[in-house]
Amino acid sequence: MRKLVLLLAVTSALVFAGAALAVETYGGPRFWYPGDSAGSSWQPGWTRNAFNKATSGYETTVTFIDNVSYAWHGTVRNKEMVTYTYWWSSQVKKAHCKAHTGGHWGGCHVS
Amino acid sequence: MVAMFRRRIAVVVCAAAIAALLAGAVGAGYDWSRGSSELEAALVDATPIRVADIPAADDLPARGVFAQSTSTGHFCLSDAPLDAPSMGGGGCNSVDDPLGGSVLTTSLAYDGGPAIETVKDARLIGLAAPEVASVRVVMSDGSSRIVKLKKTKVGSRDFSAYGFRVRKSDLRKGIGPIAVVAYDERGAEIDRQTTGIG
Repeated sequence: MRKLVLLLAVTSALVFAGAALAVETYGGPRFWYPGDSAGSSWQPGWTRNAFNKATSGYETTVTFIDNVSYAWHGTVRNKEMVTYTYWWSSQVKKAHCKAHTGGHWGGCHVS
Repeated sequence: MVAMFRRRIAVVVCAAAIAALLAGAVGAGYDWSRGSSELEAALVDATPIRVADIPAADDLPARGVFAQSTSTGHFCLSDAPLDAPSMGGGGCNSVDDPLGGSVLTTSLAYDGGPAIETVKDARLIGLAAPEVASVRVVMSDGSSRIVKLKKTKVGSRDFSAYGFRVRKSDLRKGIGPIAVVAYDERGAEIDRQTTGIG
């Protein structure tokens, strides 16, 4: 019985850890006001950053920030339903998103 | 007997937990409140079609403006290297409404910053409805730049696409784009999309 419980715990931990590394929702999901922003954890493996909104028409930015110069990389700004970018670098980085117009529902996701 | 019962419960709970997680991962789709894993996968599968160009300038290579219609019902426009059209960023709307309710879309991409003087490359891409005759980029110093439009199709519908690169000399002086304006054939402004660096 103890072995089975241990197996259950280890299996669940591995699956959850895999899921957590695959996608991190770091902003929301919530209602965004003008100027609101959010940032993810620092990871070398992040490559895709997206601001997903319920509808188009609201201006948002997504970018990656490196942990050395804190410069922005692959920044994209638009009013589409999904604003997305890629930065193909092994450098340690965090995802950052910002709502310019605000007044909308949405969530920021990095993977 | 009790031990066997507990063991069976543990196995069932374990299997159910794994099944629920796998089902969630597969059926995620486009849900703005979650990561859009299905859209990401659909973008990998959808063939990028080059609809406009961003000319080489200031020692920076030419890039392409690529359109993709995905199996998830999205129309996505991205700015990417010519030899790697799936490696760029941009935006997606419903394929039924590629312009998101406007007559013009604008997506700004840049590397460097957020201080404008430290931006190494800044580009604008977008799509325009057939009634748009011309497009200009308005800069932060009040000047404007003409954008070249290229006719294209999304499904059976006619549009124009554009790609534009901001001059390095402008960026070094702290001058960047603040809006993209669409005009009809009489020269009247019919849409204005705000943008900006930082």
